[in-house]
Amino acid sequence: MKKLAVVVTTPPYSNLTITAIEYVEAALSQGIDVIGVFFYQDGAIQANENVSIASDEYQAIEHWTKLHHEYQLPLHICITAAEKRGITCEEVLDDNDAKSENLNDIFTVSGLGELVELSSSATRLVQF
Amino acid sequence: MAAFTEQETSEVAKTAEILNTTKTLALINSKAPFANTHGKDSLDVALIFASFEQVVSLFFQGDGVYQLIDQQDGSLISVKDYLKTFSAFEFYDIEDIYVCQQSLVERKLSNSFHIENVQVLTAKDFALQLSQHKHVLRF
Repeated sequence: MKKLAVVVTTPPYSNLTITAIEYVEAALSQGIDVIGVFFYQDGAIQANENVSIASDEYQAIEHWTKLHHEYQLPLHICITAAEKRGITCEEVLDDNDAKSENLNDIFTVSGLGELVELSSSATRLVQF
Repeated sequence: MAAFTEQETSEVAKTAEILNTTKTLALINSKAPFANTHGKDSLDVALIFASFEQVVSLFFQGDGVYQLIDQQDGSLISVKDYLKTFSAFEFYDIEDIYVCQQSLVERKLSNSFHIENVQVLTAKDFALQLSQHKHVLRF
């Protein structure tokens, strides 16, 4: 079966992220096996629990949450990209002396090695 | 990159079909080096893929060609000079480094690069090499 992996490099407030979400939604609803989404560069901002977007605007993180729960879609975050952008999680709290954890737990803490894994398993890799 | 005629497009597609796509990842670098972190983010991806023994090729196109120009010093503007790491490509077995000739010409840049083994390709050959890869990421 064909497998799809997706790379998201745009932040949750970007319209390009909406395109990525709609693409993943469409793939999943057609029964395509989406083996994972990898968040790199500003894409990592999606994992910050403190992000608050005006209620009349598109709620990217709600959409990712829905996809994650409905399809058990793996959402991998590049920890180096995330830490640079103020995201902290339990595993790394001691390292950077951050005050509290703000990593949204629908995301799996990963590194670029995970991107290698995804690309070697996927029939197709699509970047947004 | 220049728009191809229909004939050129089909030629590239045909040649690509003949040659099997065996290389893992093509990284297209399209941004100048020091204004943002795209170049460094791309370099990190290249080195990780290479250290997992995946075949990675680097493509420089548009303003990305500035990443290859010699005599640059990021430290003058207090930027960590990630371009120095390009000299490690050989150690990582990253051997295929392509630059778009047209992008150089448009910017009046010469072929004096700060690393060896850079291949300057016409838009058509650039596209052909790109088509040899299973995956493409662009930074």
